[in-house]
Amino acid sequence: MPGQSPLDRPEGDWWNTEVNRRETLWLGISGAWAATIFGWMLGWTQVGDQNQIGPTYEVPPEQYQNKVQSYVDESGTAEIAGEEAIVPAGEDVFVGAFQWGWDGLPVVLDAGETYTFHLGAYDVQHGFSLRRESNLSQQISLQMLPGYEWELEMSFDDPGTYHVVCNEFCGTGHRTMHGKVFVRGD
Amino acid sequence: MLDLATYDYDDDGFRTCGVTGLRIHKSAEDMVKLFGVTSIVALAVGGAFALFVAMTRWEVIGLLPPGDFYQYLTIHAWYLLIFWMVFMEIAILYVGGPFVLGRRLPLKRVSGAGYGLMVLGAAIITWGTWTQELPNQAPLLTSYVPLKSPTSFYLGVDVFLLGAVVAAVPFLASIWQEKRETPNQALPLIAFGAFITSIVALEALVGGLITYVPTLLWRAGFLEHLDAAWYRQMYWIIGHGSQQINLLAMITIWYFLTHVLGGAEVASEKVSRTAFVLYLFFINLGAAHHLMSDPAVSTGWRMWNTSYAAYGAVIASMIHAFAIPAGLEVGRRRKNKGGGTFGWLWSAPWKDPGFSATILSIILFGFLGGTTGVMMGQMQLNMTWHNTLATPGHFHATVATGTTLAFMGLGYYVLRLVFGRDWIGGILATIQPFLYAGAMGLVCLMMMYLGLLFGVPRRHPSVMDIPGSAFDFAPSKPFFAVFGIAALLAILGGALFVVVAVGTLLFGSEYDGTLPEETPLPDGGASATDGPDSKAAHAFSMRGTFILTMVFFLTFVVLYALNWYLLSQVWTIGP
Repeated sequence: MPGQSPLDRPEGDWWNTEVNRRETLWLGISGAWAATIFGWMLGWTQVGDQNQIGPTYEVPPEQYQNKVQSYVDESGTAEIAGEEAIVPAGEDVFVGAFQWGWDGLPVVLDAGETYTFHLGAYDVQHGFSLRRESNLSQQISLQMLPGYEWELEMSFDDPGTYHVVCNEFCGTGHRTMHGKVFVRGD
Repeated sequence: MLDLATYDYDDDGFRTCGVTGLRIHKSAEDMVKLFGVTSIVALAVGGAFALFVAMTRWEVIGLLPPGDFYQYLTIHAWYLLIFWMVFMEIAILYVGGPFVLGRRLPLKRVSGAGYGLMVLGAAIITWGTWTQELPNQAPLLTSYVPLKSPTSFYLGVDVFLLGAVVAAVPFLASIWQEKRETPNQALPLIAFGAFITSIVALEALVGGLITYVPTLLWRAGFLEHLDAAWYRQMYWIIGHGSQQINLLAMITIWYFLTHVLGGAEVASEKVSRTAFVLYLFFINLGAAHHLMSDPAVSTGWRMWNTSYAAYGAVIASMIHAFAIPAGLEVGRRRKNKGGGTFGWLWSAPWKDPGFSATILSIILFGFLGGTTGVMMGQMQLNMTWHNTLATPGHFHATVATGTTLAFMGLGYYVLRLVFGRDWIGGILATIQPFLYAGAMGLVCLMMMYLGLLFGVPRRHPSVMDIPGSAFDFAPSKPFFAVFGIAALLAILGGALFVVVAVGTLLFGSEYDGTLPEETPLPDGGASATDGPDSKAAHAFSMRGTFILTMVFFLTFVVLYALNWYLLSQVWTIGP
């Protein structure tokens, strides 16, 4: 039996031709690996600390802007490093993205407390990209859409300054969008 | 341009290729030349724009002002991710169908009309992007609603997508004719792969039209409102679907070139075809990984689609990752070119740029592109990848190393076997795939490091200077330096390909039909009836391939663990 060329029509009962045992073994490894990584992802929702899971509400952009404004009005302020920052009155933290800036930032939070972040955009799509100043590899990105309000719980153990940049292209001023989250220790 | 070829046809318009043994009709060959050369022109344009993009992001150079950056980035993206790819893919369909099946290209005028529409669409996209004025913004690849791009841009996209659908019709007609004539005969594996590619392509292209026609109507003012979440979900049917055409076309080319240049055979028809069928059913929703860090899609939706992709498409890719080197190993062992564990690999024609480009494509696609694609498709890990520079790092690994190298390899053989011209440049052609693959691989790695270790965002003209803020990404500067130098070398490597290709087309001498090592027999080496030729493929040892795939698997496991470790260091998010 000569070698089968991929340019020729296969002859005979090609479906029932034996498969090399190493190839069969590889099929098994591939299947087991796919099941493992899927299981790990599911398991992380139960035991892991980083899951971007939270309810989304359809909220027209003007309405969301009003919600952010009332939140800012009800919040207190504090002076941090020469900047006036919002101190939320409760556990809710609202962030509104627009061309080209952030409503609700800078904000001051307490380490160890759990906050509910509300993410939404007023005009076009934006990206909420947050990182810790002293360790840039601690970073995550979340999409922000006009017409949707996304609620996500977050809690910071490490005090320090965290920086927000927009990482969804939102027009010529995109690169200027910067905001801060200050996390206070005890 | 069509006259540049050196081959003659018989009275029926056919000729027999001395290397592959294929019976090729002039109608199909003309269109392969047209689409193939147009594709290389797109590569040249997109590659030139890569220089501007990379040298802007390497802020030591800082070539473009921020206002221009997005326009250049748009041209770079559309010419390389779409035009270079899709024009070549139509050529691949005509090779995989009419060439392999020994048929004429049916409906040649339809093919010509498709080509015309594609060129027109590409021209409108270019013009719209280049002449945009406020309030319009650069569309980039994604043109996310409701950020407005020029109306002409959306029109151009519709025309281009329509053109690609039209150009695929003659291929489908050739498969239809084949099956009408030989209803009980399986297609050759290459034709089968091309056929699956065409179905995945049509899903993507039709999905693209369903997305971009309403978007055009919205931009032109006929529709009041388009929902941002609707657009994202619809857009990625074409946005990622187009890249899945690349994947399938690339894998078909891997089977083709390893066979023609390295003497590979099919290790198992059943296994390889099953892998293609898995793609058919499972790969589309792999596009869902673009929405892993989105609101508006439920956790269940995200988990299901990720698992769907993980179970179906990832397994299919891992099967090909074994089957293709195994086919090479078996084919070369049969020809007594494979002593020991890796002898079949050492003895391979590494000086042949068509062969080396193919193997480098397989290695880089697997190790850099495939593994990272799986990781960013895991819902939680996606948060650390989403919209950072690591994301373009991933798709440069898949498209700019994987698919581009495979298409370069094919391009070398389109010049020889279709145009009948031998490469100019000698040693330059030999080193070109290594230079390009090495430099581009390094570019991809640097982009991934920058994205994951420093959170550097994609689509930013400057991260060392954020206006109105003291914050910057200065710690990442050394990585940007390596990125910038590697990018220059990669662009040089890409330019070398274009120079060799165009030079060969214009000045290459007639190709004499030999390959760097002895020419494999057209029928896959099936001349003798005794000795190793009587052995079935599965009876040959595949131990070399098995060791290589285990190295790949262990790398995959380590990278996976590292990614989760990095995520576990982030503050608490979610319930």
